[in-house]
Amino acid sequence: MSTAATTPPKNSSVPDVATTDSDRSLQANGLHRVLGNDIAVSDVSLSLSRGDVLGLLGLNGAGKSTTLKMLCGMLVPDKGTVIVNGYSMNEQPLKARAQIGFLPDQPPLYNDMRVSEYLTLCGQIRGLTGSTLASQLLSTIERCSLGEVRQKLIATLSKGYRQRVGIAQAIIHQPEVVLLDEPSNGLDPQQLEGMRELIRRYAEDHAVVFSTHLLAEAQACCNRVAIIHEGKLTVDTPVAGADLDTLFHGAIA
Amino acid sequence: MIAIIARHECASLLRSAQTWVVAAILALLFAYLFLQQLESFLSVQDQLALQDYPVGLSGYLSVRYLQPLALAFTFVAPLFAMRSFSDEFRQHTYALWQSSPVSSTSLVLGKFAGLSAVIILLMAIAVGMLLIMRLFVPIDLSVVLCAALGLLLCSSAATACGLYFSSLTQHNLIAIIASLALLVLLWLIGGANFGELPIQAIAQLSIANHLSGFFQGYLQSDDVAYFLLFTGMFLGLCIVRLDSLRQNGY
Repeated sequence: MSTAATTPPKNSSVPDVATTDSDRSLQANGLHRVLGNDIAVSDVSLSLSRGDVLGLLGLNGAGKSTTLKMLCGMLVPDKGTVIVNGYSMNEQPLKARAQIGFLPDQPPLYNDMRVSEYLTLCGQIRGLTGSTLASQLLSTIERCSLGEVRQKLIATLSKGYRQRVGIAQAIIHQPEVVLLDEPSNGLDPQQLEGMRELIRRYAEDHAVVFSTHLLAEAQACCNRVAIIHEGKLTVDTPVAGADLDTLFHGAIA
Repeated sequence: MIAIIARHECASLLRSAQTWVVAAILALLFAYLFLQQLESFLSVQDQLALQDYPVGLSGYLSVRYLQPLALAFTFVAPLFAMRSFSDEFRQHTYALWQSSPVSSTSLVLGKFAGLSAVIILLMAIAVGMLLIMRLFVPIDLSVVLCAALGLLLCSSAATACGLYFSSLTQHNLIAIIASLALLVLLWLIGGANFGELPIQAIAQLSIANHLSGFFQGYLQSDDVAYFLLFTGMFLGLCIVRLDSLRQNGY
């Protein structure tokens, strides 16, 4: 376990569901955000425990990316709270962000760095040091199948590899919650299956949220789906037994 | 954390060809100015020795060689700093810092330290040329170090200014133009005559006026405070700017 993923405080001053329910990896309550003159997200509440893989479905502009940005602390909500592994994003933002790994829709990659250098930097800024950093670097490179490109410049990588490096930076510190914004972008079918397997394995003892507008992808690797339409969460249900196609089209009608 | 960010920023600059080109041109400029002023000193040293307060090699080169370099460093520092945040915004790498457990203060101080390290390396070349004369003639170290401190404070202020303007835009060009416009203005107001106007206090903001003492061997607290406040103000503004991005949406 990384040094960044510290134990949640036992006597947190923040009264919230997450602090009273130790199973909750992520708890978001009543998130509301206005961007410009538009309500981007309105009253979105989510709750995730270890083992959950939540697919955030919605049309383009529905509010998926804005929701993920609020969950990872990149954007402050106008209203609502986010608690990650017991840490409040408002009260203890640095500790809360240490519990999160985030892959934005465009991977945050430095083109002039080599893959291993870049992942080392990502580990260091999430608090990894010494042998922990070295072992996490090795295991992340192996998990994401980046061994053959680890010494290559990021600028020379294909889109699929760039996406995998983006996923690797999000999980190198073994965060409690991983947030992935459209992670399947640019992946070929083989890589797509590899990514799904990676998410399934990671979610065995962590929580994962990823946004997509591909129903098949949600069906393949999620155990829950949440549908956002025009900034509002309209559906939050287990995948097992659900007809996603009907649910989705009903939610956006 | 600040050290990690500083190392990353410094390495990023050193990986860039632009840095090495600027460094090479600056080294040529230093060498040319140094030799020119050394020759000038050799031709007038007899006359200087007859003055009431004789000026030695250290004092002469401090004013004639190191002082003009302050202007060069004022322009070079924002040239390096302009990429710091604007490149992060344009290449979408800023999301890495925003979603990591890194405070805006650490990020700004780390980038400032990384940029300063590269500028200090360049400064070491300039001051080193003068110090190397110690092998042949006595050099007044206190005068040289005082001038070096002036260079350091001046370039730190220019770096902080460049860093702030870089945090305002994703376009390098806008960042450098805005930084240089402000810095040139602050150099020029020192030479303006506001004697007849009620705005003469503005001249107190002049970089040139606060800098000259360092090169004459005077270390004055108000000059040091001016540069420290200037640097602190722009670093503070930069931190506020980064915090506002989290509020307003990046």
